[in-house]
Amino acid sequence: MASSSKAARLGEEVWKSRVDKINAEVLTLTYGTIVAQLCRDLTLPATANKTDYAAVNAELDRMGYNIGLRLIEDFLAKSNTGTCSSFRETAEVISKVGFKMFLNVVPQVTNWQGVEGKPQAFGLVFEENPLAEFVEYPDDGRAQDELWYSNILCGVIRGALEMVQMQIEAHFVTDVLRGNDTTEMRVTLVRYIEDEMPPDDE
Amino acid sequence: MPAATTTTAAPPPPPLDFKNSDTIPVLPPSKHQPSLRYPSSGSHRKTIYDRSLSRPPSATSLPAFAYLFNTLITYHHAKSGSVSDIETRLNRAGYPIGVKMLDLLLYRQAAAAPGGFGGAGKSGASGARPTRLLELLQFVHGTLWRGLFGRQADALEQSTTKKNEYMIVDNEPVVNTYVTIPREMSQLNCAAFVAGVVEGVCDAAGFGTEGVSAHWAEGEEMWPGKTIFLLRFREEVMEREEGLKAGGGGG
Amino acid sequence: MSVFSFYIFDRHTECIYSKRFAASNNAPPPRGAAGGGIQNGDVPASLRKASKDLDETKLIFGTIFSLRRMARQLGGADDQFLSYRTGEYKLHYFETPTQLKLVMLTSPNVGNMRTVLHQIWATLFVEYVVKSPLAPAEHTGGKGVANELFEGGLERFMEAVFRPQQ
Repeated sequence: MASSSKAARLGEEVWKSRVDKINAEVLTLTYGTIVAQLCRDLTLPATANKTDYAAVNAELDRMGYNIGLRLIEDFLAKSNTGTCSSFRETAEVISKVGFKMFLNVVPQVTNWQGVEGKPQAFGLVFEENPLAEFVEYPDDGRAQDELWYSNILCGVIRGALEMVQMQIEAHFVTDVLRGNDTTEMRVTLVRYIEDEMPPDDE
Repeated sequence: MPAATTTTAAPPPPPLDFKNSDTIPVLPPSKHQPSLRYPSSGSHRKTIYDRSLSRPPSATSLPAFAYLFNTLITYHHAKSGSVSDIETRLNRAGYPIGVKMLDLLLYRQAAAAPGGFGGAGKSGASGARPTRLLELLQFVHGTLWRGLFGRQADALEQSTTKKNEYMIVDNEPVVNTYVTIPREMSQLNCAAFVAGVVEGVCDAAGFGTEGVSAHWAEGEEMWPGKTIFLLRFREEVMEREEGLKAGGGGG
Repeated sequence: MSVFSFYIFDRHTECIYSKRFAASNNAPPPRGAAGGGIQNGDVPASLRKASKDLDETKLIFGTIFSLRRMARQLGGADDQFLSYRTGEYKLHYFETPTQLKLVMLTSPNVGNMRTVLHQIWATLFVEYVVKSPLAPAEHTGGKGVANELFEGGLERFMEAVFRPQQ
């Protein structure tokens, strides 16, 4: 239904007229305290201060999932987007309406794989990432190989799409914080979720 | 870059001999082994090392902040036993932000000042650190609040009973916009996070406190979310301030 | 013109909120809804264990579930039913893309309530329930829905919509 440019127009419009704003640095620094806290709290077994980065990634994803479950209602109520007719449309709406509305950035939808009816996946490439604006990894020789700083975003998308009957898998494949040239997340559609039946109806 | 890997075994540097030399010998730079990686190629470099700090901050959505802030509250709520425990944890979460904001805001002030960096003059215009108590309080009330929330705080008052206590009032803290407190925890004010930021600013500026805390203003009809930030400065800070006053230091 | 009751069901088919309203006139409410007509049953769903109430929400869910399916089979995948009317009451229905189902029972003479239900969702549920940090993201057993702000907002809103006409 909504073409790419239509989604872009909608995103601009919602951002301009229906969203309260705040200094992006407050967001950046607040997210920073969350990640830093997790890095302090989640340590490898039998160590006092060696961060278990895999556990941090997982916790960030879980936090994001819980945000996504809520954020989708807010998103739908504000943007009035209806049901998407294809996963391609979903990708466009996530990038141009969702990210625009909540973070004022528009990640690029790239690297499509699969077609309708087959496993489908796409990439979101972030030119700008407000979550990571001031970030430098600790120079402990591990963080750059193990931590996905913005992993909360994967969870957000997973939670949000689950509420609109799409089970997806999302993870980062590159991050400029790791020395890569881009920051890219891959989102793979696992399946469309069927309506749940009331327990009494067999 | 293969050049970096070809290391010719350099002779060990001669032992330093300060006594019998007019010049201080400069050690040859040791080979730098960077373990941090950042993107070096590409037409657009976007690491923090390439960005100007004085670039004005962009805007993002308040709901996005609210979701993160709520996540922070939920995280600490799950680990806390009491209301004061949550507030302490939120305060600690905000503290490092304050330490950073002091530097960042002063740096931007300096960059924006007419004389640019190094422009002599009063703090506040040149980016010098506030050295007097009133300057610091005005910095928090004005510069910090504007930097964080786009407007200054609503009032700045001194306690009538205790000399070392000051209050900064915010009628409607931005951070509490989407926070609903259940009745059984009605004492909880999540602006404790902002109190932590203020505490960080004060400490980093050399004005140690016995704590900064956030309290609901009682009996406010017009501003139900009105919050008072109570700053309690240490005895040494007050003594120093007295000394500066007596010495006639004009600032 | 009066409203009898209001329900929210989540995507797991659970009733996460229900509320009955004091009848503003003497029209007999439908069977089950608001027994005496004057009772204000604003109790959190989690506390309401009476089997009669459970039966009623189950009955309502079963009805909308079947109607919804029927509407889709006849009218296409995107079709939704809006309301149905009996001699005693009218049931209004609105479903969000997240499968939140809002149901309102009113007297039969009430007009289209779709925008009203949409507003309850967009301005009350989203603002006061979804954005409340200490409430769980999913409301098993109705947990976290019936908070003060939502209750108060809903009451005021319904009062404005169903203000007795002179």
